[in-house]
Amino acid sequence: MKITNYIAAFFMAVTLTACTSTDEEITGNGNITLEFDNAFSTSDLLLDTAPYKGNETEKIKISKVKYIVSNIRLEDKEGTIFTYPKNESYFIVNEENPESQFINLFNIPSKDYTKITFGIGVDQEKYLQGAEGQGEFLTKAQDAGMVWSWQAGYKFFVFEGTYTSINTPDETAFAFHMGSHGTALDNYKEITLTLKNSARVRTNATPEIHIVADIANVLKGTTKFMLDDTAQIHVNATKSPQIATNVNGMFSVDHVHN
Amino acid sequence: MLFMKKLISIILGFILLQACHTEENYTIVPTVIPLQIPSNFPEIEYNLENNPLTEEGVALGKKLFYEGRLASDGIISCGFCHEQASAFTHHGHTISHGIDGNFGFRNAQPIQNLAFFSEFTWDGAAIHLDLQPIIPITSDFEMGETIPSVIQKLNSYPEYRILFENAFEDAEATTERLLKALSQFMVTMISGNAKYDKVIRREGNVNFTNLENKGFVIFKNKCASCHSGALFTDKSYRNNGIPFNKKFPEEEGRKRVSGFEDDFYKFRVPSLRNTEMTFPYMHDGRFGTLEDVLDFYTDGMSENGGKIDPLLTKQDGSLGIDLSQEDKIALIAFLKTLTDNTFLNDKRFAEF
Repeated sequence: MKITNYIAAFFMAVTLTACTSTDEEITGNGNITLEFDNAFSTSDLLLDTAPYKGNETEKIKISKVKYIVSNIRLEDKEGTIFTYPKNESYFIVNEENPESQFINLFNIPSKDYTKITFGIGVDQEKYLQGAEGQGEFLTKAQDAGMVWSWQAGYKFFVFEGTYTSINTPDETAFAFHMGSHGTALDNYKEITLTLKNSARVRTNATPEIHIVADIANVLKGTTKFMLDDTAQIHVNATKSPQIATNVNGMFSVDHVHN
Repeated sequence: MLFMKKLISIILGFILLQACHTEENYTIVPTVIPLQIPSNFPEIEYNLENNPLTEEGVALGKKLFYEGRLASDGIISCGFCHEQASAFTHHGHTISHGIDGNFGFRNAQPIQNLAFFSEFTWDGAAIHLDLQPIIPITSDFEMGETIPSVIQKLNSYPEYRILFENAFEDAEATTERLLKALSQFMVTMISGNAKYDKVIRREGNVNFTNLENKGFVIFKNKCASCHSGALFTDKSYRNNGIPFNKKFPEEEGRKRVSGFEDDFYKFRVPSLRNTEMTFPYMHDGRFGTLEDVLDFYTDGMSENGGKIDPLLTKQDGSLGIDLSQEDKIALIAFLKTLTDNTFLNDKRFAEF
């Protein structure tokens, strides 16, 4: 009788140590917040105010920065990927609307995530589902001015304002609108960013991934864009994909709040 | 006692059943309807799985198609520029006028057999039928509205609440339902009952006349490489050597959508069904008659700043198609066999 008690106590102890010595078993789902913080080089982005330095002598005043963030996926340290439900995975980040810069994702399995992937724009797969696939995102996008009126497609990225330069002394409008070109050219691109410290999603802890979007990269990234050369780029088979690449390069993870 | 219990439970059961039955009477279930595809037609491209045709959905789509309140001025409906008697084109208009008397720069295309296509408009600016109506609804020179505002308006009209409820089992108008209903109506608009179809399907005792037959042979030799198949288009975009129209310097053809230089002044090869009724012709409606169109193909082609389709370049490098005057008369006789009076007069598509 006593022996059995000892044995039971022994097993209890082993079980207890097991629980404490290795990682606690993490279960349940939690939430995560993505903050898209738009910047211009080392400064905060302010609309309609400060002239920012573009390339060479170009000085720009920015009036609109908007983009579609989509198809969010999170990867944990073991390499397991969690894909956020596709139908709920389309968002518009609009510099004019501070609320839009915080994307709240719900029902994420509790884990330590080390990488995030997202797309800029709308993939053809979603688009070709027709009305069924767009759901209410189409309405939202129209409200936000992210749908073209002359072609039935989304604007993935909108960047507008005015500029001056040594060659253009008068304030002149510029506008970059980037999206896919019907079935001719797909400009949807995805970005994967590594998190400096892991985002620890728990039932009772909502990490916030602070992503900085450096808008200067649109003009100064892989391809340099002189507004004096082309101030209006809407559908251009050469330049639109270059803008897409520059836009993809503008994101970095600054830090993760746990 | 036991008998009483049994009786009570039977009565209760009966009441329950009755309750269920009554409830069922109040649930409106849209009536699914089949799509009749002519036997000489290809498979449809439209995915009906995402948007099954229902009697109520089609009816709502038809009402929306003729609804002027989809436009900012309350007048310009889809049907305003797409009139049934002209195979749903804008009768006699080279280009169409929309809200505030604004003009576009393209000729309104027929609305027929759209279920068999996956790209739309002269330049392929829409790549799904559901999303096509966004262009005319939101364009400044067509209906000048926004989708959110249209939805808000529709939700404020009690008659639409009933129609949406009937079609989608929910009274609320949403973007998805608006576009689905419009598609359902357009999907049903199939024109496949012309004399040509009856001859091809060997229906009744319908035969081509000698002239029509001569025209058909010429057509197969000289036109059908682009205007191919039962739809009379290979759905490609081509530069047919139409002279550049200086009235619309912004016109770039397919390049506007693709951004590719090579696509400058390329336009969708249009279907020729009901072509007798869809005048004026070409992307800008510059030609008033089929004779004008054929004269253009024999004598009117020119360089226009783009790459002219090799199929329209003769062996000696000159542009055009060789057709004699008799050939043209025969061709036109054949083209008129593509007129589908059943479609043009079908009450299912009529405004009134």
